[in-house]
Amino acid sequence: MANALQLLTIGIGIAGYYALVAVGFAIIFATLRIFHIAHGTVFIAAGYLFFFLYRVYGVDMLWSGLAAIVVAALVGLAIDKAVYIPVMRRGGGLFSVFIASLGVSLIFDAGFLVYTKGVITVARTAPLAIISVGGVTFRALDLLVLAVVFMVYGLLYLWFHRTKTGLAVRGLTDNRGLAAVVGMNVGQTRTLIFLVASALAGIAGVLTAYDTGIAPDTGSRTLFVAVVAVILGGVRNILLGTIFGSLSLGILTAYAGFFFPEWVTFGVFSTMIALILVRPRGVFG
Amino acid sequence: MDHIFFLGTLICVWIIVSVAANLVIGYTGMLAMGQAVYLGFGAYAASCLNIFLGVNYFVAVAIAAVASGFVAVLTLLPLLRLEGMYFALATLGLNFVFFDLFRNLGPRVEGSEGLYGIILPAALATPTAQFFTTLAVAVLCIIAAARLVKSPLGRALRATRDRPDALLSLGKSPTAYHIVIWGVAGALTGLAGGLYAATLFYIDPTLFTINASILVLVYIGVGGLASIGGSILGPVLLITFTEALRYLGLPSTLMGPIQQALYGALLIGVMIFRRKGLVGTHDFQE
Repeated sequence: MANALQLLTIGIGIAGYYALVAVGFAIIFATLRIFHIAHGTVFIAAGYLFFFLYRVYGVDMLWSGLAAIVVAALVGLAIDKAVYIPVMRRGGGLFSVFIASLGVSLIFDAGFLVYTKGVITVARTAPLAIISVGGVTFRALDLLVLAVVFMVYGLLYLWFHRTKTGLAVRGLTDNRGLAAVVGMNVGQTRTLIFLVASALAGIAGVLTAYDTGIAPDTGSRTLFVAVVAVILGGVRNILLGTIFGSLSLGILTAYAGFFFPEWVTFGVFSTMIALILVRPRGVFG
Repeated sequence: MDHIFFLGTLICVWIIVSVAANLVIGYTGMLAMGQAVYLGFGAYAASCLNIFLGVNYFVAVAIAAVASGFVAVLTLLPLLRLEGMYFALATLGLNFVFFDLFRNLGPRVEGSEGLYGIILPAALATPTAQFFTTLAVAVLCIIAAARLVKSPLGRALRATRDRPDALLSLGKSPTAYHIVIWGVAGALTGLAGGLYAATLFYIDPTLFTINASILVLVYIGVGGLASIGGSILGPVLLITFTEALRYLGLPSTLMGPIQQALYGALLIGVMIFRRKGLVGTHDFQE
């Protein structure tokens, strides 16, 4: 029993990272119909920059993190401006943009591979503080991650439902053509979406680099899981869907990783294929 | 010299895979992103038959090709009702599912991650013989594919891509054509897998990851969609080019990343400037 609870806490800890990466991917996919595979690249780019500033240059941890998040936001925006917009302007559709996005991650991952030689990069220097409550241990960092997730999702909810730009984002989700017709500035909203989504991936990247560390393929691996989470939850209700998908996958990963460590990927992607078959639009789709 | 023949053999193997992939992606318009699955299945099936049952390698490759065709159809059947991006995603997911299957169920030689010990017949035993045998097989595959796309079946395939309603109104089912071509492409890819294993002497699951599937996309994307010539051009140009990079005297640790970055840039460039590739006749619809 304690074991099951312990695995549950581990699963929720993992789910926090998925939730931060998945929500940005989901917003971009739901509003702009861009399958942004390179979102995973933005995520580890922030992790590496954080490591670089904090450990190599010895910059203060908080400032390193903030700088990494800002740069991540700009990298995401740059990918849209330099790659996706030109592809779409020349008539490329969802699949073409997806292929171009794969190209972006190949380039970045190659760069990270040269820089790290494939070794895992961990930014922290000390073991993590551990808290024990009634036989279940968890890490203090998990609490921080969950607090960040709550804050992010809360702010996103307020943004979507209480502000004019948030209304524009929801408008894009519902009907893109109409949104432009009623005089919405689609270009500006698009910029905003990429900045926000990429900053969220940046937060996850900094935290992951600090916690378990990152390797050049961590970005694409995490992103594929985040994609599954988004498919699981569906994009009709972005926040509810991604939190549900991330939680399910985090818990699945924790249990599968304990009982059948060799079959985790198999489990995650079989779930995805099965779910696409049963409910292509997700549980809340 | 042996190295040149080895490269030639590799190019022939990838030409077969690209031709097969182009049949489904280019001519039929199915967004297939899991060719590595059938390549790996063919390689493992042929090697296992030869190593553990002592089957002659050519017979083993033939059986592996047929078996890969069946596996391809089996994996396709549940995915048939998906469309566009969802289909692409599901086939993408197959890469991960089969990677775990290869890794956990694929036999391995003690002390290694993979499988070796294929006993090759004379026609595959030296790099020179191997090159000419593989070339002959590749040419046969190319001729077969070229005839196929010119045949009524080929026209029907393009119709499922461009005018599925027209096919339906003639009382023909696009789905039946999808299944047939997927099986054919799976068998060709499995065949290539068997030859690939013979070329490398050693196979392990990391050869058949999503990266191999992306590689095929790069080859046909650059060469040209819905074009047999493009499926030949892609692997020839790209493999020769990356080999030529070797002579620039770059450190060997940089070779992999440089190739990867180059392929990434090519994917972006093709998608922005020339979506049908160098000599393609069709571009990605979505």
